[in-house]
Amino acid sequence: MHIQLTINKKLYDLQLKGHETLLEVLRDQLSLTGTKSACQESECGTCTVIINGKAVLSCISLAANLDGAEIRTIEGLADGDVLHPVQKAFVEQGSVQCGFCIPGMIMSATALLEKNPTPTQTEVEYALDGNICRCAGYPKIFDAVHAAGKEMKEQQG
Amino acid sequence: MLLNPLTLHSPKTVSEAAKLYKELEDVKVLAGGTFLLNSLKLLKTKGTKTSKNILSLAQVDELKGMRADAHGLTIKAMTSITEIFESPLLVDNFQIIRTVCRNISTTPIRNMASFGGNLTCRYTWTEMPVVMIALNATMYFMSPQGAVSQISAEDFFKNNARSEHLFTHVVIPRETQARLVYRRVRKMSEVDQPLLTLCVKTTLPEKQWTKTRIVINTGSAFAQRDYQLEEFLNGKDLSSTLGQEALDHLTTTIYDTRSNEYKQHMFRVCLRQAIEGICTSN
Amino acid sequence: MKTKMTQEYVDPVGKSVPRIDGRGIVTGQTKYAFDVSFPNMLVGKMLRSPHAHAKIISIDTSKAEALPGVKAVITARDTHLIKFGSNEYFFPHTVDQMALEVDKVRYIGDEIGAVAAVDEETANEALKLIDVQYEILPAVFDIEEAIKPTAPMIHDSLNNLAVILPVNFGNPERVMKEADYVREDKFWCPVAHPAPLEPHVCVGQWETFANKITLWSSSQAPFKCREALAKTLKMDLNDVRVIKMAVGGGFGGKLEMLPMDFAACLLSKKSGGLPVKICYTREEEFIASRRKHGMIYKIKTGVKKDGTILAITGEVLADGGAYCSYGPTVLAASMMRIFMVYKIQHFRMSGYRIYTNNPISGAMRGFGGVQSGFAVESHMDMIANDLGMDPIEFRLKNITTPNMVTVNKMLLTTNGLRECIEKAKDASGWDKKRGQQKNICRGIGIGIAADVMGSKMYKSHESAGAIVKVEEDGSVYLFTGAADTGQGSNTALSQIAAQELGVSYSRIKCKSGDTEITPFDTGSFASRVTFISGNAALLGGRDAKLQILEIVAKEHNLNIADLDIKAEKVIFRKDGKVLMSFDKALELCYSFNYGKQIIGRGSYNPKTTPIDFRTGEGNVSGSYGFEAQIAEVEVNKETGEVKVLDIWDAHDIGKAINPQSVESQIEGSLAMGLGYTFYEDMKFKNGRVLNANFANYRVARSIGLPKMHTILIETNDPEGPFGAKGMGEASLLPTSAAIANAVEDAIGVRIKDLPITPDKIIKALKEKQAQTTAKA
Repeated sequence: MHIQLTINKKLYDLQLKGHETLLEVLRDQLSLTGTKSACQESECGTCTVIINGKAVLSCISLAANLDGAEIRTIEGLADGDVLHPVQKAFVEQGSVQCGFCIPGMIMSATALLEKNPTPTQTEVEYALDGNICRCAGYPKIFDAVHAAGKEMKEQQG
Repeated sequence: MLLNPLTLHSPKTVSEAAKLYKELEDVKVLAGGTFLLNSLKLLKTKGTKTSKNILSLAQVDELKGMRADAHGLTIKAMTSITEIFESPLLVDNFQIIRTVCRNISTTPIRNMASFGGNLTCRYTWTEMPVVMIALNATMYFMSPQGAVSQISAEDFFKNNARSEHLFTHVVIPRETQARLVYRRVRKMSEVDQPLLTLCVKTTLPEKQWTKTRIVINTGSAFAQRDYQLEEFLNGKDLSSTLGQEALDHLTTTIYDTRSNEYKQHMFRVCLRQAIEGICTSN
Repeated sequence: MKTKMTQEYVDPVGKSVPRIDGRGIVTGQTKYAFDVSFPNMLVGKMLRSPHAHAKIISIDTSKAEALPGVKAVITARDTHLIKFGSNEYFFPHTVDQMALEVDKVRYIGDEIGAVAAVDEETANEALKLIDVQYEILPAVFDIEEAIKPTAPMIHDSLNNLAVILPVNFGNPERVMKEADYVREDKFWCPVAHPAPLEPHVCVGQWETFANKITLWSSSQAPFKCREALAKTLKMDLNDVRVIKMAVGGGFGGKLEMLPMDFAACLLSKKSGGLPVKICYTREEEFIASRRKHGMIYKIKTGVKKDGTILAITGEVLADGGAYCSYGPTVLAASMMRIFMVYKIQHFRMSGYRIYTNNPISGAMRGFGGVQSGFAVESHMDMIANDLGMDPIEFRLKNITTPNMVTVNKMLLTTNGLRECIEKAKDASGWDKKRGQQKNICRGIGIGIAADVMGSKMYKSHESAGAIVKVEEDGSVYLFTGAADTGQGSNTALSQIAAQELGVSYSRIKCKSGDTEITPFDTGSFASRVTFISGNAALLGGRDAKLQILEIVAKEHNLNIADLDIKAEKVIFRKDGKVLMSFDKALELCYSFNYGKQIIGRGSYNPKTTPIDFRTGEGNVSGSYGFEAQIAEVEVNKETGEVKVLDIWDAHDIGKAINPQSVESQIEGSLAMGLGYTFYEDMKFKNGRVLNANFANYRVARSIGLPKMHTILIETNDPEGPFGAKGMGEASLLPTSAAIANAVEDAIGVRIKDLPITPDKIIKALKEKQAQTTAKA
């Protein structure tokens, strides 16, 4: 079957068999390997992407079921070689350790901050509760989210 | 290849969906996908055959959204948990639904998971059943011929959550005077599946427990009411000791069957606290 | 240099410069072994035993080989039948695992074969077509059962004892009799799993005519992997190239060659040289990598009534699983860390690592120190309570000091333990809180720990090498064998090299963990990288600097001893006067008259002594790190829930090369310690892992973490690079005890078997209530 997906503002025409998850399409068919996979059971969050402004798990999304959808992955955040405020904050605040959780974590954080650039600490914790960081760099991840939010609010205002 | 070969059906209307639900052989409904996709993957790794036909409700706009009027709140099957959580319609007795949504799984799951899935998936431990029964919700289904049928949430779960027809929405009566408490106790070592959930609802005209509903979910059986405890509480005045007294009037088989010591203990703690909470805050 | 250089990165040591690989990671550009893909790459899968203990009678691979799409199938008969292990230098008898087993399988998941096919479907199908005939043997899963003479023998070790480590000093039996008070306790330390997010994954390629193997790997110890591959495949070290990609976490589970690494290479050979990728599923990651040793820890201590420790005896029984892995090191660490923390003269403890038919135990973060941290620190706290003594006073009375030699000949030079305890005590408000908050069920508890920087236990040396190559345009390469697995070693080592060379951090690019290009390094474990690999990087930087200064001195007729390079300038040491810029000096090196390639080399082997494994004597590390951790908890007596409000971690790290990275390591370790305390618990039944997924094996997430306060104490170690020690795992050692001690302070119950779960608290409270009622 034939579907269309807009990924990072680019339109893709895809021939699918029907059983492919969005994650398989991203990584295996389109070589967008920024989105990761660590559990295949919707627990770890490394496969997080943004669809319609919401953070969702691509490993349990059936690609064929998303015909016409607009999808954003980690590869689509930076503007040319200018990092998105969330990416920039993660580098500056020391939030990056092994990095495997980071693409998913950044997508969840971006979804939160685009809706609410000044979340409370509790709101940040809840927004990221689907993303495991095994290096457990949470304190610095929280710092980065708050810092990025501030910058995004300034850019808005 | 993580899933077995499948054929995806994407109807655009409820009646089309209801028809396909009956007509398609070997079919599973794809709502939010948070249960189904994991199940399909797991079964494949075990070498078990999985359904060939997947009936997706993603394009059935008629099944999305919520609306409210003076009499009640309607929640349609394909509304996501996050949408419900963020809805400004959750006032009066509907506020308790926000508490329930908050404690379901994690953020991306809440963004994807459907109300209908959590309510009708037939996993005994999900969160919506207890609160829908407590709120006296009515569940609506559509037959393949397009006929609408209804059943109380309570009766639906008494019948072990079985239905041949497609679930479409609930209607919850508005009760401005109702008081509700919801408790969900987590299993320490797990993220998603709760140890227990329960919901206590009552109305307090003249500060007496009236039309009480005590709805219990042990996780190993479908949500059910404790009529004995309700009977005990109905007609009682508000008092700080009522919670403790209530514990002598439990239908113990509900709480203690296939429950370890800690679970039995936690049921009693949660019930007592819930009843005390309603008494002392009113 | 053409790219913009920032002034702020000059003199980078001590600054929180951004991670050298940060931009690649936050954009998804950085490639992990998980992401590696080649044209015509095959998918490999391991054939695993479904039985916990069985003889292999026969394996018939013919049907699998005939399946279309299958390019290679291997079993033991394709191998040289060479065993490998991880502690072979000192414990040759622990070399007990074959890449593909030939006689017996010893745990559910044990590898006996592998297939490579065009896709995953076909590979899985092929596995099902391999016909294996087993003769099932009786199995044993419990350590106390396994050491009985009647237990089935798993290897050729009597009583299934893989390793026995006696640690003996002084005359504890005699001295114990002189004690005013003796206390004996037994603890259960459960099994946790490293559970890195990136599972074990590798791509192997065998170029048969060039006789060359390349393995792209997610490894913490690429050189160890190379060594084992060379041994089992009978190749020379320079025939095997292990390339460590970015690693998505290791935590001790990726410290050795696994059968999958071997299989990827051999399958590639058998398929005619096609690259073969093997990636663990999350389930395989739990059952077939390396887990923590579950331990029964028995300890008995005699003290004077003023709290002075006189003697300690005890016994450690460790569940080793089916093969030895890093067992000896873990066992040693579980007993010898006590000497780094407490002054003891009389000590006798026997450690037993016992084979069982459970999945393999290895070197998970903490290396046995987590288990001993919980047991010893809980035990010491209980003694203090029994004596009516403040637990901090008790610790201060007995802790080690700077510049002392322990009874087992460990040389402790810088030792900030006292300062750590005192700073943690002040920061936490200990005096106001200890014993004062019982009415609101709050409590505060302390745990202390020490850390090594390396442990010469698997080879005769533990040296690390580094190369600092200065290009003509002033950009610099640092080649280090150190394996950055996320802790930031590429960054820290680059800072060290830049500092010593005298240039800005922005000049440095770091290439690490490629066995063909970078010098040797044993890997990321035992918190050794900043100290050992850091010193190598420092020496490499220094060598490069001297090569440059030699030319400058010659050109300007100066004495090289009078010159230095600092902050991008060649200066006179005496008064700091600037002679020329670094770039100008470099121009000179590459000029017509000189044309000298600036290639700095560094090699560093810490000054340690071999351990005498009959007694436990030996200075195992070049330096030692110390910490004190205080936890404040709030216990809900009705629900049994323990909430950790705050944790203060005061840490002697020598010098923080990159403060942000050190804090990240402390916070990360601490959270893993919290996990071990509350919910990380691998459950087994008859050798089967019951919770081999993230739904049922819970790890720390964003919700429910305490406020973490890190206090860095810089004791400026004389041996460490710029005074730095290391910081990799120490912060999870005392956490469980600090929390258990705080729970005791809050509600007067003691939990001695982890994890601390609400049902255990409720049960303990009920028992306490029953005891009080019985007494009354």
